[in-house]
Amino acid sequence: MRRLPVYLVLDVSGSMTGEPIEAVKNGIKTMIAALRQDPYALETAHISVITFNHNAQQVAPLIELAMFQEPQITASGTTSVGAALSLLSDKIESEVKKTTVEQKGDWKPLVFFMTDGLPTDDWKAGLNKFKKQKCGMVVACAAGQHADTTILKEITKNVVSLDTADSASIQAFFKWVSSSVSVSSAKIENETAETSSISELPPPPDEVNIVI
Amino acid sequence: MSTLSVISQKGKKIEWIDKAIGSGTMKDVYFSPDKSYVVGFYRNKLDASSKDRLNSIVGVYKTKIIDGPNGDYWRNLLCWPYDIVEHNGLTGIVVPTYQRHFFFMHGSVNDDMLGIKGQEKNGKWFASAKNQNRFLHEKEKGDLLSYLRISILLSRALKRIHAAGLAHSDLSYNNVLIDPEGKNASIIDIDGLVVPGKFAPDVMGTPDFVAPEVIMTKHLPVNDSNRKLPTILTDRYALSVLIYMYLLFRHPLKGRKIHDTDPVKDEELSMGAKALFIEHPTDRSNKPNLNDVHPSELPYIDVDKMPYTILGPYLKELFDRAFIEGLHNPQKRPTSNEWEEALVKTVDLLQPCQNSKCSHKWFVFDNKLSPRCPYCGTPYTDALPVLNFYSSRGKGKFLSDNARLMVYNNQYLYRWHTNRLVHPNERLSDEDKKPAGYFVKHRGNWILVNQNLPELYDVTNKVDIPIGKHVVLDDNIQVLLEKGNGGRLAHVQMVNKR
Repeated sequence: MRRLPVYLVLDVSGSMTGEPIEAVKNGIKTMIAALRQDPYALETAHISVITFNHNAQQVAPLIELAMFQEPQITASGTTSVGAALSLLSDKIESEVKKTTVEQKGDWKPLVFFMTDGLPTDDWKAGLNKFKKQKCGMVVACAAGQHADTTILKEITKNVVSLDTADSASIQAFFKWVSSSVSVSSAKIENETAETSSISELPPPPDEVNIVI
Repeated sequence: MSTLSVISQKGKKIEWIDKAIGSGTMKDVYFSPDKSYVVGFYRNKLDASSKDRLNSIVGVYKTKIIDGPNGDYWRNLLCWPYDIVEHNGLTGIVVPTYQRHFFFMHGSVNDDMLGIKGQEKNGKWFASAKNQNRFLHEKEKGDLLSYLRISILLSRALKRIHAAGLAHSDLSYNNVLIDPEGKNASIIDIDGLVVPGKFAPDVMGTPDFVAPEVIMTKHLPVNDSNRKLPTILTDRYALSVLIYMYLLFRHPLKGRKIHDTDPVKDEELSMGAKALFIEHPTDRSNKPNLNDVHPSELPYIDVDKMPYTILGPYLKELFDRAFIEGLHNPQKRPTSNEWEEALVKTVDLLQPCQNSKCSHKWFVFDNKLSPRCPYCGTPYTDALPVLNFYSSRGKGKFLSDNARLMVYNNQYLYRWHTNRLVHPNERLSDEDKKPAGYFVKHRGNWILVNQNLPELYDVTNKVDIPIGKHVVLDDNIQVLLEKGNGGRLAHVQMVNKR
């Protein structure tokens, strides 16, 4: 049985203090609870959480859904997007089982990246490293008005934005992430795409806008 | 939360609470205030052909199937949409709420650690070794008889759809609800039905259930004559996969063979062009690699320990046709009717496991094998009568029906055992639901007690067995169960003699 690795990469810089960080914590909690009620996710999904501020840390290593423990998360510091992408690619390298001629590997990982501000480090270096990883769907979320969607567009073509980084919007984002992990019927028309596009995911809720 | 309402196409007032309870690939679903029905609104505006399709489903096909003969029976097996509404330019269908037994009563282990009590019993929960082994509450899991019964119901429901000239097009564990505890099953999401040549399918199907030819041709344009889309033949493939998964808790094509180092391409090849049965008798190259499986998939993923042949000869034959001969040759796949018949006959081969803690409680007793429960290993030590059935085809001529009944204590004999022409399906009369007799071990002998067989006759000893009396089932005796057309003769064979 192939595992489905899911990486949540979350901004915990100082600007997330207060309502946004609480919403992120609740969002993870709701997401895990929802996924545990999904028999497909329960069978295949493995979850990891990476947070970033002045540097990046993996606060929850990749582990199957049933064993996942909520990480401690606090907000402070700067926004090291580059360090986050670099750590993410290291973890994908070491944690995701590759398919070889001898062994069935995991599914390509899903990545959900969320930030509320502008990178404060050399993010291009991290980006170049990340670009070498083979991922499935990568979705970047700009939470609130201070994040730069043009930078996120360089990480992935699948960018969404939240008008404000408030509790309702962040919750809606996590709810959408959990519905994205499930399987559903494959539509007939969208079978030509080479890379994963956001149109394959369930439609996002009203709070989550797709950035074109 | 506000309640909205409109007058439906059939002139009824349809209400719903304006908060979606779920979202599928195409629709958002809302509850009626009394929760007796749901309204599913398509997110996108429907074209004329899709509307036409829905009109046929809630109209002519509903009339034919749900309001037709045995409609009450089909209503339980097919969650059929019955009306259409329009609201803000969007189209919605009105569907009955699922029956109560399709919601978890106990949920998961450890005081429902997953919090699934009250949730729908989506069919995926039960088709997975990991979910069975680690998560589902003991009281939700059912036993082998549950999954045979559920497979019979799903085959029968699909047979009815096919008999009407329709294809389901997206049969999968996501589109069925099953209740192993109560032995119920229902097909849902019926609004995607395909009328060959008239209404084309919207979806290719759900991963794991899409037929190889559909996957192999998905790169072609939809109007290309070589493109294969869901049909009755692909439904047959999906049904075979579903039955295999419910009876063995593994997928028939997911083994060790690797076709590409890209997992998406590898999966596509192993489900499509290069699809190979994991239990292929001569090509063992796709046999699951036990060094590469999660412990929670055991023992079910071990095809040496749990080969599909443990399900007996009738199902083996159909699995061979589905996953060997018919895998890349759709015309050879078993029909839903053949599945139903083979499953019904397999139920008559069951023996209760003598280990009260056995996970499956029953096993298919094949007298060619050493009698031992394949699930828990408990040997069966007793001698046991088998009734081999023959039936009359014209004057005094009896031919084998390729059907037999394995006897166990307190088992009933029914009319569908005593007459070849009677089948335990939706057409069975109330009279024929009553037991015709029962078997019991009495003072060291196995006996058949006659409850309702006026013509029961011990051919070997040439004596009538009136109602209320019994016949001793000695090795090799012949008992005429019923005279008349289709009436059966049972030849008793004592197996496991010491």
